[in-house]
Amino acid sequence: MRRIIAQARKELTQVFRDRLTLALALLLPLVLLALLGKAISLSVTNIPVVVQDLDRTPSSRRYIETLQASLTFRVAPLPLSTQPPEALERNEAYVAIVIPPQFERSLQRDRETEVQWLVDATDANTANIMRATSVALTQDFLTRMNLMAGVQPAIRAEIRFWYNPGRESEKHIGTGAFAVMLALFPPLLAALATSREDEQKTILQVYVSSISAQEYLLGKALAFMCVAIAEWVLLLASAIPLFGLRFAGTPAPLFLSTMAYLFCSVSFGLLVGTLIRNQAAAIQATQTVAFLLSFLLSGFIFPIANIPTSVRWISHLVPARYYIEVTRDAFLRGGGWAAVWHVPVMLALLGSLFFLIAWLRMRRMQMDV
Amino acid sequence: MRKTLQDFTNQRLWALFMKELQQIRRNRRLVISLIVPPTLLVFLFGFALNPQVRNLRLGVVDDSHTPESRELVSAFFESGVFQVESYYTSSDALSRALDAGDLDAGLIVPSNFAKRLARGEAVDVQLFVDAVDSNKATIAGGYASRIIAALSDRLTQASPLTVSIKRAQPPRARSAVPRVALFYNPGLRSDWFIIPGMLGVLLILNGSLVAAATMVREKEAGTVEQLLMTPAESLEIITAKIAPLFLLLSLDIWLVLSIGYFVFGIPVRGSLLLLFATGLLCTLAGIGIGTLIATFTKTQQQAQLMGFFVNPPLSLLSGAMTPVEAMPQWLRPLTNLNPVRHFAIIARSIMFKGVGFETLYPHIFALLGITLVLISFSVWRFRKQL
Amino acid sequence: MSADAVTEGTAASTDVFLQKPLEDAVPIRVRDLRKSYGALEAVKGVSFAVRKGEIFGLIGPDGAGKSSIFQILGGVMQPSDGEASILGRTPRDARSMIGYLTQTFSLYQDLSVAENLRYVGELRLLSKEEIRERSAHYLRMFDMDRFADRLAGRLSGGMKQKLALACALIAEPKVLLLDEPTTGVDPVSRREFWDALIPLAARGMTILVATPYLDEAERCHRIALIHEGRIHATGTPAELRHSLGLERLEVRANDLARAEELLRKARGIEDVQRFGDRLDVLVRDVAQGERSVRETLKDLNVTELHLREPTLENAFVATLRELEGDVSLSPFPRARQTGMPKRNTTAISARSLSKRFGDFQAVKGVDLEVRYGEIYGLLGANGAGKTTTIKMLCGLLEPSGGTVTLAGERDLRSSSVRQRIGYMSQKFSLYDDLTIEENLDFFAGVYGVPRREREEKKRWVLSFSGLEGRERQLTGSLPGGWKQRVAFGASIMHEPEVLFLDEPTSGVDPLARRALWRMINDLADYGVAILVTTHYLEEAEQCNRLGLMVAGYMVAQGSPSDLKTAQRGTLIELITDEPQLAMKILRDEMERWRVSLFGDRLHVVVDEDEDTAIKKLADRLKRNGIDVVRAYREPFSLEDVFIQTVERARREGKVAPED
Repeated sequence: MRRIIAQARKELTQVFRDRLTLALALLLPLVLLALLGKAISLSVTNIPVVVQDLDRTPSSRRYIETLQASLTFRVAPLPLSTQPPEALERNEAYVAIVIPPQFERSLQRDRETEVQWLVDATDANTANIMRATSVALTQDFLTRMNLMAGVQPAIRAEIRFWYNPGRESEKHIGTGAFAVMLALFPPLLAALATSREDEQKTILQVYVSSISAQEYLLGKALAFMCVAIAEWVLLLASAIPLFGLRFAGTPAPLFLSTMAYLFCSVSFGLLVGTLIRNQAAAIQATQTVAFLLSFLLSGFIFPIANIPTSVRWISHLVPARYYIEVTRDAFLRGGGWAAVWHVPVMLALLGSLFFLIAWLRMRRMQMDV
Repeated sequence: MRKTLQDFTNQRLWALFMKELQQIRRNRRLVISLIVPPTLLVFLFGFALNPQVRNLRLGVVDDSHTPESRELVSAFFESGVFQVESYYTSSDALSRALDAGDLDAGLIVPSNFAKRLARGEAVDVQLFVDAVDSNKATIAGGYASRIIAALSDRLTQASPLTVSIKRAQPPRARSAVPRVALFYNPGLRSDWFIIPGMLGVLLILNGSLVAAATMVREKEAGTVEQLLMTPAESLEIITAKIAPLFLLLSLDIWLVLSIGYFVFGIPVRGSLLLLFATGLLCTLAGIGIGTLIATFTKTQQQAQLMGFFVNPPLSLLSGAMTPVEAMPQWLRPLTNLNPVRHFAIIARSIMFKGVGFETLYPHIFALLGITLVLISFSVWRFRKQL
Repeated sequence: MSADAVTEGTAASTDVFLQKPLEDAVPIRVRDLRKSYGALEAVKGVSFAVRKGEIFGLIGPDGAGKSSIFQILGGVMQPSDGEASILGRTPRDARSMIGYLTQTFSLYQDLSVAENLRYVGELRLLSKEEIRERSAHYLRMFDMDRFADRLAGRLSGGMKQKLALACALIAEPKVLLLDEPTTGVDPVSRREFWDALIPLAARGMTILVATPYLDEAERCHRIALIHEGRIHATGTPAELRHSLGLERLEVRANDLARAEELLRKARGIEDVQRFGDRLDVLVRDVAQGERSVRETLKDLNVTELHLREPTLENAFVATLRELEGDVSLSPFPRARQTGMPKRNTTAISARSLSKRFGDFQAVKGVDLEVRYGEIYGLLGANGAGKTTTIKMLCGLLEPSGGTVTLAGERDLRSSSVRQRIGYMSQKFSLYDDLTIEENLDFFAGVYGVPRREREEKKRWVLSFSGLEGRERQLTGSLPGGWKQRVAFGASIMHEPEVLFLDEPTSGVDPLARRALWRMINDLADYGVAILVTTHYLEEAEQCNRLGLMVAGYMVAQGSPSDLKTAQRGTLIELITDEPQLAMKILRDEMERWRVSLFGDRLHVVVDEDEDTAIKKLADRLKRNGIDVVRAYREPFSLEDVFIQTVERARREGKVAPED
């Protein structure tokens, strides 16, 4: 035990000495958190849209006004001389809307008339939203024109958005980014500190003292757990005001899972550090594996269900996947223990697995040739 | 005399160039990082980043228990967007399941559903959507409205159940409908969006990391002094360092394009040559960033860490993965300084829209400008350090 | 007390395995030890034993297998075969009784001195008090107590090495393993390190040390010469010196190059070595040898001829030559079209050169001149400003003040100047990730060596470095010493007029070092101006002129003989029955630097004349119950010059104590 503490204290001293790494550990996650939370979003606003009004009647102008009233669009007229698809080709607009001639007359005569929406579907998700918006805005227009007055829909859907009524993207992405940051930086520090001992040969000093592999690794784990907890507190303190989060239910599962998750992260770092004995390569490995997997296979941005089954199984090995469930539950859904009891269990298992492999690699505490 | 001098210069540049090439050949990590991360990134992003909303788990509380309510539920089911996960007896039970994250949406059909329909009165059904994922919720909500509207329409127009309604009020065609035509990517495949974007991200990311590592290695090993004592000019040294990297990295363009074409079926409708040429510009910009990083660092490890400060903002604020229009207003103009943003637009336009230089020249010139500034600034700094 | 035991032990039977109790008397035992890395056998059946309280030296070049032996004895690596035991146990089980100091020091550069000690102490489960007391004790002992809070990374090389020693000592081990603890460290720091080591052995600690420096080997009780994984000779330094059965004649004459050539062919002469301004001639019979020398050199005017003891270097060179034959030195293929600059005209000249890094003045007004055909040696402690000076002289660093003229030009960065310069930097001259041939191709290409000459020159470098047939090998896989030879070859392929060599011979075995110096001499004879730095003071003897730097100042310049004669005082060598105690007594009364211990001999620098001083010293020791066995005057060695000059500068306040 004394040796574990000695090891941990040494690691912490080193972390505080190394300014660049300390800045990296504490500052960069905050910057990235803000960046990810604010910049990654699929809720488009102010999309450039061009409208070609071939009717030029009060009704068509009313239709354009309806478009302009929507926050989603930034509407510009398209001169008659231009073919609508050209606007898409030149990347001037995502959507080109053509109001047909005789628009008003058709409306007045109760004939069905079609407004053409030419959507640049390069970005499938945005195109999907455009498609939904086209329906909604046209309905809206009809209502405004009192054209729907007599008709009552038989079934009225009363749709309520739970947990995140404003459907703010940053609450969703922010809670995920929080987990991704913790999947990246603690392992990075732990991996660097472990591979550095090999690179600078200080590991020999450790080998000749009779410290055991588990003591050595636990000492390092302990130290980087402390750093990780500090990181967690900082991230939490910035994420809450930044994304307007608040606890939706009991925070207990979050706290417990956090400990398990940080252990997982740090153990993963130790694992990388013991396998790769060159700092630059260790950074690259951590970056590629931890960041990429947590970014892509954790349900951070897009649902895990969308991942093809051939790849989806990997996501079960990605700790961030579980932790994201907990953060979203704690801050948005509020399901409590019943919803997330399995998370700390899975995380503890994964963490122990990583730790075990690192231990197997180190256990002889000798140079391997 | 002049002849021999020229001979010397060429021989020198050749020697430097060969040396770099041989070092790269031996550097297994470099070769790996030229192949593995691009392949991995393209595959993972292409497969995993799929925002399509389908198979949403729907929970139902059917207090009506009538054929009409069952028709409503099956309308949801038939849409393909929702799958009915299970039925609940009370709204409490439903909301508990939503809380637990077992469901994405819940539908509550009131007990008077059939009766009111029969009477021709409007009925309200409640739909709860888990809006934690706002994008999914928005799209799910849109789908639900459309499903209910369609059913509603059908009921008012055709259903024998609503004959009375029809009689009371002659049906009237909705007078205006949007007709949506999807251009360029009618299959709405999200991988088509991601992969051209990733191409730019990769060229910058890989270019900068590989360049920084190569540039800094000589400093780290201390051989740079030996090199400086040779008659080689600093510009020759830098040229010889950049040229092989440039050649190798340009292979990444083909790598990504072939994966895109053969695995994801992404077409290149415009000029392949223009795409490659702009890709080279992008590569050069990446090398410029890497060289710049190398001038700030002493070891490969520091260079890698510096990469962390530079690369995420470049790839996130580029519109390569998510649309620029989804970023906060104040950030959007800044993205114009990002070479990845311009390249993403160029790549997508060439690949999907088949347009050429005549429409893309503003972005091409912007990319060219950024690249020139980056590469000349970084070379200037690097030279000063030599 | 243990000094007695050691002397007795040395004289007694060589089969130490018969002694009882074994573990106590002979803490380190190695029998038929082997270690293979894949196909490469690094240690090929090594046996030796080290007695309690003994300093045992493993002497050999890079790649001889020393580090492998240390790693096995330190318990951090398994042997492939054979037996190694420490205090009767396997090294792994004996770890708590071993102090292990590696080549790279194993210090945490970003921890302070005290934190390093504390960490090591805690790993070894010492109590807080023990750690505090022992840290304080060793830091005081090594004169480092002021620096407890300084980061290890910001210590000088010598201090780092003492800190590493303190770390190894903190758990009070019984056995100390020191793997090249002083490589790359200047002579002053090296002497301080050894001064700290000797009392430890006297108190019964068993010390195994590896070193490439022969002056350090002199300070061991016993040494073993190791070469290519095998031990070739074991014994006390004196035994090895005399094992050749040869005597050494120091000869000074007018034309040394020609004298060497003539003596090499003369009869009755075993070996000739050139050391700067003198020749070492090894002969079996003194009288006959002297006759032969005088006869052979009768036209060359022999100015001095002295009989001296052979040195360890003489012994090693002879042993190595037996093993692998002399390094063949085929003539360097010169193809120079333009003539060399005139001899004795100025090649490198610096006037009041200075360099400032922020607040730190690294070089202070250095004047220096090197002429064509001259070998100029730059000496100085680590951090004295040598490397900075060289970098300014060859144009890698812009001076803060003063002027440099190089090969007659002021613009040092011009391509044409660099074409005429050869440069070999400390360790990093070659690309590790290229093969030897690719490296040579690169340097030949970048210096524009004409294609038709390239093959011949490459072949020459390969034969010079003894690597024929291995040109496809990766340079990184070569031991340091071999790499140095290739690097040297690569730096002269374009036939430079001026050559800068920054520690060209570190890690090179004595035989190859001799070949290297013969080549350096050959180049100088051809008219090349050579500026060289080295930590081997034996080598500095071979320079025509030396410059001694201390704390950024050039404090002395002149030929090795000039510098030695300029020394004030007299050097007395004392042989006593209790050298440890004698040193302690004398040091109490005199300045510390005046007294140092070399194995069983004491060197004392005195200001009085020889006879008075010997009498006074003998009296002083007699009063403390120590008998002086022999005492005589010794000429100053360059090491003595070096240390005295640094001390004098320190007393004159030029060198602020390190902080």
